[in-house]
Amino acid sequence: MYPLPKEDKQVSPYFVFYLIHSMQVGVGILGFERIIAQSARQNAWIAVIIAGIIMIGLVFLSYRILNRGKNDIVAIHHDVFGKWIGGMFSLYFILYYAILVLVILRTYEEVIQVWVFPDVGAWVFLLIILLIAYYYVIGGFRVVTGISFLGVIYGLPLLLVMYFPLKNGHLGNLLPLFDVTFRELYEATKGMTLNFLGFEVLFMFYPFIKKATKSEKWAYFAVIFSTFIYLVTLLVTFVYFSQEQLKTTIWATLSLWKIVDLTIIERFEYVGICIWFFVILPNICIGLWCASRGMHRLFSIRQKTSLRFICLLVLLSALFFRDRQLVDTLNDIVSQIGLYTIYFYIPFLYVVQMIMKRWKKT
Amino acid sequence: MIIHRRSKKSKKSARDAEKESETKNLLEIDDLLHQCKMSADFISFRYSEDSEYYIHYFKSIINPDILHEFILPFLRDAQSGDTLFMIQEKVSIDSTKIVKDLETVRDSLLTGAVLVQQKGNVEEALMIPAVAIEKRSVSMPEVEYSVVGPKEAFVESLDANLNLIRKRLPIPELIVKELKVGRLTKTRVAVIYIKEVANEENANTMYQRIEDIDFDNIIDSSFITQIITDSSSSFFPQMIDTERPDRVAGVLSEGKIAVLVDGSPHALTGPTPLVEFFSAFEDYFLSWHLASAFRLIRLFAVFFSVVSTPLYVAVMTFHYEMIPQNLLNPLIASRSGVPFPPILEAIILELTIELLREAGARLPTKIGQTIGIVGGIVIGTAAVQAGLTSNVLLIIVALAALASFTTPVYQMGNVIRLIRFPFLLSAQFYGLLGVTFTFALILGHLLKLTSLGRPYLAPVYPLRLVDLKDALFRLPMYSQKERPIQMRSHVPQRFSMKHHKKRNLDIEE
Repeated sequence: MYPLPKEDKQVSPYFVFYLIHSMQVGVGILGFERIIAQSARQNAWIAVIIAGIIMIGLVFLSYRILNRGKNDIVAIHHDVFGKWIGGMFSLYFILYYAILVLVILRTYEEVIQVWVFPDVGAWVFLLIILLIAYYYVIGGFRVVTGISFLGVIYGLPLLLVMYFPLKNGHLGNLLPLFDVTFRELYEATKGMTLNFLGFEVLFMFYPFIKKATKSEKWAYFAVIFSTFIYLVTLLVTFVYFSQEQLKTTIWATLSLWKIVDLTIIERFEYVGICIWFFVILPNICIGLWCASRGMHRLFSIRQKTSLRFICLLVLLSALFFRDRQLVDTLNDIVSQIGLYTIYFYIPFLYVVQMIMKRWKKT
Repeated sequence: MIIHRRSKKSKKSARDAEKESETKNLLEIDDLLHQCKMSADFISFRYSEDSEYYIHYFKSIINPDILHEFILPFLRDAQSGDTLFMIQEKVSIDSTKIVKDLETVRDSLLTGAVLVQQKGNVEEALMIPAVAIEKRSVSMPEVEYSVVGPKEAFVESLDANLNLIRKRLPIPELIVKELKVGRLTKTRVAVIYIKEVANEENANTMYQRIEDIDFDNIIDSSFITQIITDSSSSFFPQMIDTERPDRVAGVLSEGKIAVLVDGSPHALTGPTPLVEFFSAFEDYFLSWHLASAFRLIRLFAVFFSVVSTPLYVAVMTFHYEMIPQNLLNPLIASRSGVPFPPILEAIILELTIELLREAGARLPTKIGQTIGIVGGIVIGTAAVQAGLTSNVLLIIVALAALASFTTPVYQMGNVIRLIRFPFLLSAQFYGLLGVTFTFALILGHLLKLTSLGRPYLAPVYPLRLVDLKDALFRLPMYSQKERPIQMRSHVPQRFSMKHHKKRNLDIEE
């Protein structure tokens, strides 16, 4: 009922690294510092590491589920819960992927509006970006993987510009070390979750990986690398901004780019936002691909049709979030949904699948 | 039952058709000769009144020396009663044949054979090849000129071109498959590859695609490229069109497939990834440090050529705060009197350069140079002095044009010429972001493209680290011991490392 993809549509195992990493580093990184510094202050970096470790555990669970099911989430749901309940859960996952796309798209739009083009209507960029993403997804999973790979490569030079804030930073901002309560760390880790969301796309593209069971280590590398990127960004931000400043800086990473002082370019953040587009684009493409693929599998419709439908859905709902407050609310809601999905649903699915497997055997 | 009956019927009709074609044949060789006689250059005669042999040929395509020395004497001396077969035995020319089939008669008559018929035997004809082909001698490469290295270029004759390749690869594994394409032109097309080294699948794809061509005239190899290309909606060339036999020999030994077309001084090679369009064959004649540096410079030049003017427009129109203070002065000074917005200014200058190029390309070399000087210096300076454009933009546009000439493959140069206009327009609409969006679209397009079914962006995506040794840069010869993975060669090893290993010697050892 749920056939596996042909071999010429599959990609090599190591691409899992780029797929997961590019999905985890998205818009969140442009402004996550303020949110986690609210609770854990200068020690929020501990929360990043903790969140990273938890993510590794969740990836481990996901791989156990997928290796046992040997197919994507739609087929696994069907096997475990049957047609109707499984279908409901699959639908939830499809909507979840779609809402991830919505958050990323709308937040990036917000960045463009605030930083580059305050006077251009939001729909213009939403439409353009969605059209570009549509063009990529139409090309299939290999093209989507391609942009996620290139996106990671293009994004890397931006790490170099961290040199400028470091040059002007105060290492003392990081002190005192470990002056943090468990409660504060818990809050910060929770806040960090939204940034690490996205590895769940693994559930959809798993059958598209050649020798998928061997790709597990790449997924861990991806999480570790994402954690590293977040950690570096956070530390540099803390070194440059004091905690008081950080409270009023919404886009801390973006503000860091402003400090960059090159002889031929002033206001580096314009360049940064443009390069960042290539980090955002894979996010949107992978999300759209997963959602459309899910619908294609669940409802047996053409993937092109479901892709158009989801693009339209995302565009229309993105138009609904008009101002900063609404976008913030959206981010909070998705953070909550994501939190429950990865912290509760994945372990739940793992246990139920195990029980069903044993039960079916006997 | 029905099937059985039908098969019987079809057998019967087949036999009928055979008979029919036989009688048709009788008529049609004669018909063919009649039709040919309408042309003034068709000659038809008997050696003497009592000779039994009729000789027919197109005098425009046969070599009269062969006719006079090797054919006519035998026909003169032939005894009456000698069959065509006996004549064939006497004539000391290779690949003569006695043919009944009209198709073959027509084809060989029209490709330079002398037709001999015996009186009373209209069914058969002796075809003696005596073709004379006008061709120019092998000359210097003009499009892909190189300072060092071989200075031979292909000519318009397929056989001469094959000679240039085969003398560089004297191995029996070099396979040349020939076929005829084009309803009217009947162009000879040769698919060349090295057995085992090249992937059969690639060779078959190429052969199949050429075989499937249904077109009336194939004048040049570029016709073939356009017809068999993977994506005809793409403006990126997907196969290299080279005039250098050394380059063809080089890529053949890498496991690629080459195509030669009679009447075209170019060879097509594929599968070709994007980076190969930026590698000149001269790179292999230089030391690897230089070659790598030049390749990187070329890639940078391409990037610069495409985005520099759009960036100027974007920054001048939307993001003027990006200009640092020390740069602001010269920019203001040069732009203050210009009456146009940056986009108009840029388009005017870009179009001027395009005009110059187009005019220069269509004119004889000597006049072309004059045009270049008149256009480049006079118009440029005059435009600035008249205050129509800014000095800075003039510099940028001229540099961009210069940079676009660095691409070693001509078609790619054309693409780069054209590609900056969408960038310019998008820069006018949404500044840097517009440029980014256009870049994303082109990147998506490149990701989807294939060349003979192989990914176009390789070895960057799919990432093949080993293949990078000869892509963006070129590593030393001893590191090139494997053929590109991209080619899926059956013999990936190019040479053994036995003689290339360096011993780790101590000082003064």
